[in-house]
Amino acid sequence: MEHTQREENGCTIVAFTGDIDLESSPDVRRVLLDCVKANDSVIVDLSGVDYIDSSGVASMVEAFQTTRAGSGQFSLAAVSESALRVLQLARLDKVFTIYGSVEEGLADGG
Amino acid sequence: MMNQMQADAQNATQLGNSLELLADMGRDFAGSGDIDATLVRALERITDYLNAEGGALFLLADDDRLLTCHSCVGETEITGITLKSDHGIVGRCVQTNTGEIVRDVSKDPNFDSSVDEKTGFTTKSILCAPLSVKDEVLGAIELINKKGGDNLFDPADLTLLEVLSNSAALAILNARMAERLVEQEKTRRELELAAEIQRNLLPSAPGPDHPIDGINIPARTVSGDFYDFFSLPDGRIIFCLGDVSGKGMNAALLMAKTASLFRCLGKTINSPGRLLGVINSEICETATRGMFITMIAGYFDPDTDEICFANAGHEPPLYLPGEENAPHQSFAAEAPPIGISPMVVPEEGYPEEKICLDFGSFYVFTDGVTEGEMEDGSMLGVSGVIELLNKGRARSLQSRLHGITQRLDRGDGDLHDDITILGISRAGGADRNDGTPLVSRRLPARAKNLKTIRTVVGEALSEEKVDEKIAAEVVLAIDEACQNIIRHAYGKECDKDISLEVHLRDDRLEVNLTDEAPPIDLEAVKPRNLDEIRPGGLGTHFISEIMDEVTYSHLESGTGNRLHMVKTIS
Repeated sequence: MEHTQREENGCTIVAFTGDIDLESSPDVRRVLLDCVKANDSVIVDLSGVDYIDSSGVASMVEAFQTTRAGSGQFSLAAVSESALRVLQLARLDKVFTIYGSVEEGLADGG
Repeated sequence: MMNQMQADAQNATQLGNSLELLADMGRDFAGSGDIDATLVRALERITDYLNAEGGALFLLADDDRLLTCHSCVGETEITGITLKSDHGIVGRCVQTNTGEIVRDVSKDPNFDSSVDEKTGFTTKSILCAPLSVKDEVLGAIELINKKGGDNLFDPADLTLLEVLSNSAALAILNARMAERLVEQEKTRRELELAAEIQRNLLPSAPGPDHPIDGINIPARTVSGDFYDFFSLPDGRIIFCLGDVSGKGMNAALLMAKTASLFRCLGKTINSPGRLLGVINSEICETATRGMFITMIAGYFDPDTDEICFANAGHEPPLYLPGEENAPHQSFAAEAPPIGISPMVVPEEGYPEEKICLDFGSFYVFTDGVTEGEMEDGSMLGVSGVIELLNKGRARSLQSRLHGITQRLDRGDGDLHDDITILGISRAGGADRNDGTPLVSRRLPARAKNLKTIRTVVGEALSEEKVDEKIAAEVVLAIDEACQNIIRHAYGKECDKDISLEVHLRDDRLEVNLTDEAPPIDLEAVKPRNLDEIRPGGLGTHFISEIMDEVTYSHLESGTGNRLHMVKTIS
């Protein structure tokens, strides 16, 4: 699991690559929480993630809730079909704002 | 002449100053990571406060036989000098664990003037207090020659020095304890690394229909037991099981060497007797005196059903015939263990035995199995081993072996000896599955192994042309179930195994996951309400959403749980 992070238009874009599973989700959780604590507006680029499990989804939910508590924006972008299926199974596909691409998310104001 | 009030006021100020010094020193000890520097500073303060010409701090060394000067204050430098721990006034103070004032050292028979002679210093009076915590004496602080006044130390000086010495002693003891803990932690980490290397020396789990399987459970982190088996180009399977005398790191290293020799030589030497003979000469060349290995090595030929083995001083292996109630056979060693002497083994090697498996089964084990304690504290014994194996004869080889180890290793970390057992059996037993499983894997319950499980299952399903989306979901369900085993059944990552079997029967994809954890509360495994948005608790929901049938049960042996899941993939 690797991640890169950049700022654009006042928005933090964090991109993960690899599987988000029980082994990597503690790292993912830490990265996401650091992001949402530092910036109100965060887009998670999942284009490099083919596999996400319940522990990965839990990290997303926790980050989402942390942002919401500060009334910020937390959205997902470029979610692969298999990852989207997992979000659907968790009934979270309608809870998260999901953009087709990072650019789309930025155009929408993060 | 002071009046009473003036005297009281002066005493109060003195007490205040003393307490302040004690508090300062306490803070210094508590806040410092460098005990040596803090002790030097403390000695300087004490010497200064009690107005002495010089001071020295002595610590016991060399099993309390010597006193070494740790630090000193004053004109003469004596840091590093050593004296016998019963020598001089400081020695007397350490031996009796009592502080004292010696007003005129020239009248004290214990006074040693040699230091004065060497340094040119003149010692007149001494104040000395032991560095001790209760009965444990670590050394002493000695102050020399009171400056000013009547040049004599008084009882109040002694009391203060005793209090200060006690606080210094406590700090020394704490620092030593902390050092020991760091050392222990380092050793523990090194042992764990060694244990990992050892585990990698054992063969990886074979498929359920493989005729040979084994289990090794170390009593401590590292093990002196080992087993191995591998196939030869001609189809025969070579196996061994050994037990190194002693436990701990030296046994583990000898185990590693012997196991490597077996792996290497077993590929070229065709007779088990000669193989053990060559291993014996190799080990004898380099082995540490007093260490030896009892070991059995042999071949199993699946074509002829023949087992040929040699026994170097090991527990007799057992043969249980196929027909029920037929008497078992055991084969006592006729030659000594490996590593004692190259001379005791005949030239042609260790004597060999041959038996035909013929629907029966063959077991080799260490004394950790026969001498292992059951729950009621009684020893399992050879008869106990035979009874358990006979009872389990309808079950798969792996489950029979587990049946034995689970009786002895109840997961409470209370094993007296390593447990190692290896079995050879062709009868798959009643729980053998029809058809070959798509996947059969046994892996330690660690997060890093989940990727392997996903890859193996994913590849197997893709090979069977299972629809990609369904396959991805089944992979997720299996991953989540494994996570539940790690997080809930075992409670955390550990080296106990998760066993996975996936079968495809027509359009039914069947998954069996078993663990070796204590029985779980079957009622407690329920998916949660998803209307509530919160992290956690999703895994069980995923499993029930994806799979068509989900059944949790306890294993018959009393330890371990099974999860049976079915997905119809028409």
